[in-house]
Parts: sequence; C-alpha cells; structure tokens
Amino acid sequence: MQDNNRLSIHSHSHLGRCIFLRFLLFSAVWLVLTGSEAESWIIGFPAIGCAVFLSLKLSPSSHVSLSFVGICSFIPFFLRQSSLSGIDVMRRALSRRLAVNPGLVSYTTFLPEGAPRIFFVNTISLLPGTLSADLQSNTVTVHTIDKNIPIWANIQNLELRIAILWRVTPQKGKAL
Amino acid sequence: MSYLHISCALIILCSIAAGMIRILSGPTAADRMMAAQLFGTCGVAILLLLAKGMDTIVLLDIALVFALLAALATITFVRRAWHEQSGVPRR
Amino acid sequence: MITLDNLGILCIVMGLPFFLTGTVGLLRFPDIYTRLHALTKADNVGLGLIILGLSLQADNLFTVAKLILIWILVLIASSASCHLVARSAMQKNIHPWVK
Repeated sequence: MQDNNRLSIHSHSHLGRCIFLRFLLFSAVWLVLTGSEAESWIIGFPAIGCAVFLSLKLSPSSHVSLSFVGICSFIPFFLRQSSLSGIDVMRRALSRRLAVNPGLVSYTTFLPEGAPRIFFVNTISLLPGTLSADLQSNTVTVHTIDKNIPIWANIQNLELRIAILWRVTPQKGKAL
Repeated sequence: MSYLHISCALIILCSIAAGMIRILSGPTAADRMMAAQLFGTCGVAILLLLAKGMDTIVLLDIALVFALLAALATITFVRRAWHEQSGVPRR
Repeated sequence: MITLDNLGILCIVMGLPFFLTGTVGLLRFPDIYTRLHALTKADNVGLGLIILGLSLQADNLFTVAKLILIWILVLIASSASCHLVARSAMQKNIHPWVK
C-alpha cells in the first residue's frame, strides 16, 4: 500500500517535471518566433498550453531523460563532426577522379526504441561518410561513401555519446 | 543595402541553377526530388542573406516557413508519389 | 565592432564553396545514395557557416536565436528527408552503385 502510494507520488512529480520542461521549451520557441512584444503572449499562452497537451498525448513522458553534461559534450562533438563531413564531401566532389567507393554496412544498436534511436539514425546521416539508409527494429543499414574509412568505430563512438546524452546504460552481451 | 550579402545570395542562386541540370536529367523521380531539397536549403540561405542585405527582417520568418515546407514536400513525395507511381503498396 | 563584422563576412564567404560543391556532388556522383551524401552534408555545413556569419553581424540576440532555430530546423528536416529518400530507395530495390 505504502509502496504503491510512493510510486504514484513519484510518477506525479515526474509528470509535473515533464510538463514544466515542455512548457519552458515551447515558451522559448514562442519567444524566439515573436520577439519581445508583450501582446503576442495573448495568443502565446493558449498556444503553448495546446502544444504541451498535444505533445504529452502524442509522446507521453518517456523514461529516458537528457543529461545536461551529455548535451554540453555532444554539441561540440556534433559541430566538429558535421563540419568534417562537409569538408569530406567537398574533397570527394572536387577530386579529379571520382573518389567514392560506396558500400552498405549493417549495425545493431543497443539504444532503446523511441527518441534515442531516432536521434541516432538521424545523426548518422550528418557524420562524415555515413548515411542511414534503413531501420528495421534495432538494425540500422548504413550506406557509406567510402569503404576504407573506419565506419564501425565512428558509429560506435556516436552510439556511446548518444547513450551518455540520453542516460542509457549499454547492455551487456551486445552483439558486436 | 549591402552588396556583399546580395552577391553571396547570387552565387548560391548559381548553385541552384546548376542543380536544375539534375532535375532535367533525372534519371529517377527521387533524383529530381533531391534537387528540390537542394532548393530548400539554398533557398533558406538566400532568404537569410537577403534579410541582412536588404534590412528586411521579415524575410527570416519566410526562411523559417521555407525550411518547413521543403521537409514537408520531401516527406509527401516519399509517402505518396514515389510509392504509388511504381505500384508498390504503401505501408 | 568592425572586427566582429569582418569575421561574419569571412564566415559567410567560407560557406559559399560548400553550397557549390554540394551541387557539384549532386551532378557528379553516380547514384542516389552518394548524391544524398553530397546534398545533406555539404549544404548543412554551408548553411551553418552562413548562419554563424549572420549571427556575428546580427543586431540583437533575438535575431541570433531565430537564426539558430532555423539552422536546427533545417538540420532535422534534411537528415529526416535524407533518411526517408534513402529508405524508400532501398525498399524499391535500387542497388547502390559499387566501384
């Protein structure tokens, strides 16, 4: 009985925190979109309310949460990798002989279904030389522009960083 | 008015114009759609440069809508046009 | 103040080659998948540099925030549509070009 009670209190506080964070996020977006005009909040508050409600209905509060330290370390990593990927494409497009040697690689990820996995699949496409071509349950098919670059290590590195970002602990016995 | 920003926008417009070759030559519908995606990104860049170059801050909002529409166009294309045209049933 | 402005100009000019090579890649690469590589990556970096340059030249923080919002939106949109196009190409059994 007591245990059950504690559980429900815990889930209530979790829901409250979730609502509060989404409210902050949507308010920030509204502020950016409309600038500093105070009148805009007459429309803004109802709109934000609707958005929070809809987002809770469509993607209920997940068990995974972002870690602040993870975000801080992920942003520089992402910026660096995506600029490298732009330079890489530039080099290949401009080389006199076509410098491509494409191939397909399958990768099994331990990231849980939902936001972390979607995020993983989308970021693969912005990394140097890789492009996510398919996703079947937990297997990502990656198209690579050059079979000679260490795709495996790159993707694994990205996967670990995303695991830190979403506070996912790597499962043991993961297929390598 | 800043000529630097406007000439940068012109250079990006040139890259769109070159992308049109891909639209004309195809070969698959997806290649044509990718050129449309190129228009999306380049269009956003041009609008942002014009917003600064012509001091029209409203163009930023248009760029925002443009970014959304380009994504929507691709998604609609993949979901409807490309699959139905080949007779593959949609999931 | 002048230096910040010049730095912005430098970033904008540095962004241009990415757009141009993105298009070169789109025209030169042999199949859908490799063209998608060129399109998504080069253009996103080009747009990122232009947005960085414009942010350095912006008058207030609201404009900077809006520019960054636009960049994030374009990043999400292009990586998602890139994945969708590649996936439906795979489902249609379009085989990647091999050397």
